[in-house]
Amino acid sequence: MNELHPLTQAIIAGKRKEVPDLVAQCLAAGESASAIVEHRLVPGMAIIGEKFKLNEIFVPEMLIAARAMKEALKVLEPLLAAAGVKPEHIVVIGTVEGDLHDIGKNLVAMMWKGANLGVIDLGVNVPPARFVEAIREHQPELVGLSTLLTTTMPAMRDTVKAIRDAGLSVKIVVGGAPITREFAREIGADSYAPDAGSAVDMAVALLQGKA
Amino acid sequence: MNPAGSLKVRLPTGEVFALPIHPDERSLAGMLSAAGLSLNTRCGQRGLCRGCEVELIEGSLTVDGATVAAPAIVKACQARRDGHGTIRIPARSRVEHRPQVGETFAIGIPYAHQPLFTPVPGGRDTGFAVDIGTTTVVVLCVDLVTGAILSRAGGFNEQIRFGDNVITRIEAAAKPENLAAMQRAIVHETIRPLLLQAAERAGRALERFAGGAVAGNTTMLHLLVGEDPTSLGSAPFTPRFLSGRQVLAGELQLIVDGLSPEIPLQLLPGIAGYIGADIAAGVIATGMAYDEVPSLLVDIGTNGEILLQSNGQLSACATAAGPAFEGGGLRCGTRAVEGAVSELRLGLNPFGLELKTVGDVPAGRAGGICGSAYLDFLAMGRSSGLLSSKGRFEPAAWEQVPEPYRHQEDRERALRLPAGRPGGLTISEVDVALLLQAKAAIGAGIETLLETAGIRAADLGRVYLAGGFGMHLNLGHAIACGLLPGLRREQIRVVGNTALAGALLALVDRTTLEEMATLQARVEIIELNLVPGFEDCFIEHLSLP
Repeated sequence: MNELHPLTQAIIAGKRKEVPDLVAQCLAAGESASAIVEHRLVPGMAIIGEKFKLNEIFVPEMLIAARAMKEALKVLEPLLAAAGVKPEHIVVIGTVEGDLHDIGKNLVAMMWKGANLGVIDLGVNVPPARFVEAIREHQPELVGLSTLLTTTMPAMRDTVKAIRDAGLSVKIVVGGAPITREFAREIGADSYAPDAGSAVDMAVALLQGKA
Repeated sequence: MNPAGSLKVRLPTGEVFALPIHPDERSLAGMLSAAGLSLNTRCGQRGLCRGCEVELIEGSLTVDGATVAAPAIVKACQARRDGHGTIRIPARSRVEHRPQVGETFAIGIPYAHQPLFTPVPGGRDTGFAVDIGTTTVVVLCVDLVTGAILSRAGGFNEQIRFGDNVITRIEAAAKPENLAAMQRAIVHETIRPLLLQAAERAGRALERFAGGAVAGNTTMLHLLVGEDPTSLGSAPFTPRFLSGRQVLAGELQLIVDGLSPEIPLQLLPGIAGYIGADIAAGVIATGMAYDEVPSLLVDIGTNGEILLQSNGQLSACATAAGPAFEGGGLRCGTRAVEGAVSELRLGLNPFGLELKTVGDVPAGRAGGICGSAYLDFLAMGRSSGLLSSKGRFEPAAWEQVPEPYRHQEDRERALRLPAGRPGGLTISEVDVALLLQAKAAIGAGIETLLETAGIRAADLGRVYLAGGFGMHLNLGHAIACGLLPGLRREQIRVVGNTALAGALLALVDRTTLEEMATLQARVEIIELNLVPGFEDCFIEHLSLP
């Protein structure tokens, strides 16, 4: 831990209130926004993901860390946009139609941002057509579908079908409390992420597999 | 019937009995249920939870098409007969036949004597009030002439085998045969026997019953009348009906010897898909609709419902707490059934741990831990310094816990309660993480609803804590751990089963029914997931104060 930058440490410990100052210090020291993301935030979220996998931290601590990173991105995202920095990989994510729950989806979105992916978040209650439209518009390599309610699992199936029927070659990863590997396979998704930690590994593996 | 093979069940008493084999090759859970040994099939027999695990102690079973040989732990909903086998059912997997049913309540308003059904002296002079909870159902037998409660009867909602929460039931109802089977489960298998029991206890012949009033959440009332609840399963959660329908006993197939099929059952009116007639009943029964000070109604369950009144303005939200407070998903979690650890006292310096169980069963025979004791653990674990604000065991404090109370598996640490079912009872850090999410959902729901209305917790004149869980929790601990954030004990009134209270009120004073019916237009529904600050508020509440 000693060798980690204070900003990275603050992200890991979820010390949200300390984050804006630490980001400001990095910027004042001449680090670019993209360098801060790459060298300060990404390692922090990688450690969070690793600790989660090893059962060293659980969902509450992961959420708290993700929120700390969100504070950093609040400062950095406008700078990245202004500098015209384009992420190497674009991914789209959303909660399927009929479901308004987004805490799990937002956590995955944050973890993906923490892996330096460009995340287009469509929000909650997203109809299949809206996913198709967003995929056409943003040309992502990967799309993530989330649901919390067992009753909206059919909407996930419909969304996968709509994406396939539209002839889009994007990889689809699905997750959420009621989703199982079998269900993911059955509806024709490319991958199933049982939790936010594995959603990152999954995304990185799928993207690299494509590269 | 295929004669090959037999299944035996070893009961906790040591007795072994042969399980009748069904020719239709249903699951082990199905066969056990048919034999009167219902298991906790809370995920709706989809193999997703561990509620129905049984121990295969001899012989074999088929699971997922493969033979599993003893000794093994199997999910009964996924297991089928495979030759001979003997199983043992751990207490935690049984749906107990003595549930703690919320039969008591406080009524906070004066009411007139204007019965919903005009009593005929010497004729139909008796009514019944029903609360259909997702888990438990209560029937009251009421003298319509005097308004007196004559008797009570309560038990599990037999729909529980289709899933233990409204979402799993809505999903099950997608199959028309299940919709009919669930209606039969509530009418014929639940209400009918309870009505018979209540009538017998009251000494009233069924011929004397003039009608009943029924409270329940929107999904339960849909399933009662056989309406498809599918639309309640996804946004915008539009119910097929909310109004206070009247249906005849005969239409519901509520067929009891002596009971006229022509008598009406009055359903209480609901407010919205997830703010149902049970909450409308509570708003009227507590009197909160008439409070001159701001007041709050909180009903803590898998779906927590929160309703705020301020200057006569009403707003409400539902918050997804999940099943943790009912023991769901927790290693040793259970509902508040007999033999569950219900209270816990913890001290660190010097170390001390005291337990109390439902029904004062000796702690050595405790079958699990229920929500109120977990809440005690959160509050006292934190105040003693054993738990960090993030719900982890503080390393230095952990060292002060005597060795026999410490349990470690892989990297996961747990406090071992020196008692209970074989192997002992534990509360692990993973359990704590789930409890923190449940308490944060309620705490953040309360805070967000108050913020939306511009009310501070300190400004609330009264907080009505409704529901079974509210009756059994330690208020000081609920406040300390942030379940009821920013509140003081003296603000809180524990009001019990206000859904049942509302059904009784409607039965004895029909004007209260009219007032319940006005609520749908008066209550503003706040969809928490669409409030921008809710997620931050939720994450804030994940910590222990």
